Amino acid sequence: MKNDSTLAYLRRMNPVPEAASSVDGAELLDRITSLPHDEPLRARRSPHRRRVALVAVGLVVMALLATTALAISGWFGDVVEPPVTKQEYRNAQDMLTLPPGATWRELNLDPNSVTSRGGGGSYAVMIAMGSWECYWVDAIKSGDQPAQQQAHSELNSLLHDHVVIAPPGASENWAPSTAQFPVAAFADDGGYQMKQAMYADAAAGHPHSLIQSCRANGP
Amino acid sequence: MTNQPDRQSAEARFREVFSHLGAVTAYARRRGSRDPDGIAAEAMTIAWRRLADVPADDPLPWLYATARNLVLEESRRSAPAAAAGDDAEQSFDPQPFELDPALDQALRSLSRFDREALLLVAWEDLTPKQAAKALGINGTAFRVRLLRARRRLQASLEQATPPSPHLNHLDVEGT
Repeated sequence: MKNDSTLAYLRRMNPVPEAASSVDGAELLDRITSLPHDEPLRARRSPHRRRVALVAVGLVVMALLATTALAISGWFGDVVEPPVTKQEYRNAQDMLTLPPGATWRELNLDPNSVTSRGGGGSYAVMIAMGSWECYWVDAIKSGDQPAQQQAHSELNSLLHDHVVIAPPGASENWAPSTAQFPVAAFADDGGYQMKQAMYADAAAGHPHSLIQSCRANGP
Repeated sequence: MTNQPDRQSAEARFREVFSHLGAVTAYARRRGSRDPDGIAAEAMTIAWRRLADVPADDPLPWLYATARNLVLEESRRSAPAAAAGDDAEQSFDPQPFELDPALDQALRSLSRFDREALLLVAWEDLTPKQAAKALGINGTAFRVRLLRARRRLQASLEQATPPSPHLNHLDVEGT
């Protein structure tokens, strides 16, 4: 990157120019490393990445299908082009929380494709859901109770606030007509209730389904 | 459970990660956290617990991404309390503080993602590659976003303030 005076100006205005901590680093280090640490130091594939990959594949397939239907986009109801979907995805990121350490994946869409309106928000909801599920699994494995409770709470909030059930018999492209955003629409096939039961079971000490859900999209 | 050599190896590696404590604390402070030391300590605790997920070659982007999520959480937790006041909207979003009012306003006018892209490079001194990792996007997408964010910031600054010596020759395109 060439010299940029906008960035130079911003650098000069840095309100905290020095990296510094006011805590006793040695004491904090001892305290942290005295905590349980059960994870082996080997490269581990991020579990939520697998779920994200599946969602991404789904979106790409949807986009590819839609690409061929640009001229007949009426088939897809209210469809939008990639910039709108990407903006929806960014807007959704401002409204959803990912677990510590997780980041939002890039949304790649064919430039000539169309997607149902709200698809960017739906994609973000599914990413958040998958990330929190796998974060919960990790927290169970490491015995981190606060993290488990946080994951449970976040997932319940996602289900309550950002997931809707499509009416019976609705098409696959059904989208809620309300201004609710971001929102993922689940088919009326018991999937929503299965998620609820899965989270309740995990909270009650039976995380088998949760672990399977996290693992399901793995290679 | 880990055996003793594994534990020692983990501790040795974690000490390298922990050497960034000051940087993470400063990051949280720059993003307007009310408890930057607490955020940094929490980020380090998570790093210890999930050490296998922390990139060994360059942990800083991972630490910033973790701290960012923690600051956002802190902000969301405090949102209901702030909602009772007059400044609820601004309190909801972590913001830089004690800034020149024009710059503060210009930064607030950016989307959170654009602002973060700019600040990771300007204040956290990350390379575009590192900043892209912290935001979970690829390097090319990050450069595009950074360019756009710089343009928007400059436009906001020019709107907010009359020409000043250090703003007269902003190089918007970076050329």
